[in-house]
Amino acid sequence: MEEPLQKTKAATWLSDLPSLMRQSQFSQYWVLLLSVVYFLIFASFTPGFAAPENIGNIFANLLPLLVVAIGQTFVLIAGGIDLSVTSIIGLSSVSGALVMSSDGGWLAGKPGAMIVGVMTMLAIGALVGCFNGLAITWLKMPAFIVTLTTMMFFSGLAIWLTKSKTIYNLPSAFNAIGKGSLLVIPNALLVTIALAFVAHILLSRTLHGRWIYAVGHNVKAAQVSGVRVNVTVTLAYVVCGFCAAVAAILYTGRMETGSPVMGQKILLDVIGAAVIGGTSLFGGHGKILWTFFGVLFITLIDNSLNMLGLSYFTIMMVKGGVILLSALLDRLQTK
Amino acid sequence: MNNRKFQIKSLIILVTLLLATGSLLSCNQTSTPDTGAKKITIGVSFETLQTEYWVAGFEAIKAELKKRDATVLEAIADGDANRQLEQVNNFITRKVDGIIAVPKDAKTIIPMIKAANQANIPIVLYNRPADQTEAKSVAVVADNFAITKATVEYMAEQAKKSGKKYKAAILIGDLGDTNAVGRRDGFEAAIKSYSDVIEVVARIPTEWNGEKARAGMTNALQAHPEINFIFTSSDFMFPQIVQALKAADKYHKIGAAGHVLLGGFDGDATAYQMLVDGYLDADGVQDVYFESEAAVQAILDLKAGKSVAPKILDPGFVIHQGNLKEASAKMWGAQVKK
Repeated sequence: MEEPLQKTKAATWLSDLPSLMRQSQFSQYWVLLLSVVYFLIFASFTPGFAAPENIGNIFANLLPLLVVAIGQTFVLIAGGIDLSVTSIIGLSSVSGALVMSSDGGWLAGKPGAMIVGVMTMLAIGALVGCFNGLAITWLKMPAFIVTLTTMMFFSGLAIWLTKSKTIYNLPSAFNAIGKGSLLVIPNALLVTIALAFVAHILLSRTLHGRWIYAVGHNVKAAQVSGVRVNVTVTLAYVVCGFCAAVAAILYTGRMETGSPVMGQKILLDVIGAAVIGGTSLFGGHGKILWTFFGVLFITLIDNSLNMLGLSYFTIMMVKGGVILLSALLDRLQTK
Repeated sequence: MNNRKFQIKSLIILVTLLLATGSLLSCNQTSTPDTGAKKITIGVSFETLQTEYWVAGFEAIKAELKKRDATVLEAIADGDANRQLEQVNNFITRKVDGIIAVPKDAKTIIPMIKAANQANIPIVLYNRPADQTEAKSVAVVADNFAITKATVEYMAEQAKKSGKKYKAAILIGDLGDTNAVGRRDGFEAAIKSYSDVIEVVARIPTEWNGEKARAGMTNALQAHPEINFIFTSSDFMFPQIVQALKAADKYHKIGAAGHVLLGGFDGDATAYQMLVDGYLDADGVQDVYFESEAAVQAILDLKAGKSVAPKILDPGFVIHQGNLKEASAKMWGAQVKK
């Protein structure tokens, strides 16, 4: 008698899981708590993991990834996805370097080369984002296909522009954005905090922010309620492209090199971090703070397993598993 | 079950899982018998493990370090220079005794060398040197120019002996990589002395991309069907070359009518099999075992405060049909195959 009873209990628990997930709505600080527990456990047996230098490393590694993930959060909340962020990073990186490099750059040695280089990088990010947004809204093309093809096109363009070479000799003031400090505060941290603050205000305190949630939640209902859906979605992609360009500045500065393949491998980390944080792949749900927690958790996994000297394949499997589990939780919550 | 209960239960399950994972991982760590001497730790960072050559190099370095009773921390950057920088920074935080790295390219490695220098940790670059920089490192590299020149000279001698005229093609690597430049220059230098027998009609850029190699080779064979002498700057492109030759009905054994003189560089398992099967004329071999031993020795010498030359050259060797039996004992691809 006991066995069938246990089976029934287990079956009830499993069938109730989606509703439990919905009821729980996972506390806002759930992933942060998870990160703290993870940190404490791994600190107990990973040499150097809790050392101040390593905590500095974790944050240095986290910042550019957070910047890209913030942009992706806008697009995911609006119910889309942007697979082209990595190509934006590569294209922005080489475009800025082609302008600024003292080694044959277009404005080499001229005053203001760095400012023009940075503006070029940001403009390229915003323009590619705008192109994605317009193709998705006005041409009614699926976001997946549009951003997948722009990823291929702009990655190819970056390689063609540089003949697949990296570009060195960038202005030291530019490199300082990625690796320098203002007194003791890293410049990259200042840039990231400023961007995260503006993004948070934009999402939570403005009409446009509420429109993004509305569109992601139910596009038809939003349209009937008078939300300018096309403009809202396009702007989400512009923000995403702009953030990818800011990340390109941080990555290029700290590598002191413009590279057409810069950031090419971080796409899964970017989307995974947003999803781990709690941003829904189905739209209408997410916060900048949650994305920060997601990026923190994924960076902790990367750093801790690397510090343990585990093989690359093991790290990839663990990260893939965590992201898959988060996507499953997201699916159960939205079921 | 209410919300709070669910969260507490979930947290308990999660902490249990993490603790179990942690215990397993800590058991997995290499335990060292207490011999009194401190075991050294070396961080090994490879840009990629995409080809057989890198896998063989990676395994040879780990084996060499194990032989010297060193603990190895490994990291693979999967072709991402930024990830490699993060991994090297992690090594520095772990206060490793030395770092052996295969850079993504000659320029992006420079910030990593600077970081290692700043932390006073010796760094050795395996198989790819850095661009000119004030930052200090030791590079263990194959003598790409000399090995390629010797390989192509052997092929050219075979061509000369046949008494026929030859039309040649070379598959060139990514010219941002000094190894690719050395191999191209070695090829050109060798061919120059045989200009009465061999004319180069196709120089195919591949950027170390197998698909580009296949498309380039196919196009070259269509534009110049008379091509009968091919050298590839890396053995990993042989499958694509063979595919293109078969499609053009030009893949024949040595001695058969219509045989295309074939040569390559690296010494991988595919090249070894092609030599054994009688399709490949010659292959320039990078001595993985020499390079691994030299890299580890350089790290230990630098750690001991000894002076080490900034560049250690692997002289390599040429394997061909005439010395196949003796030379295969030193060819890493032959060992992998076995």
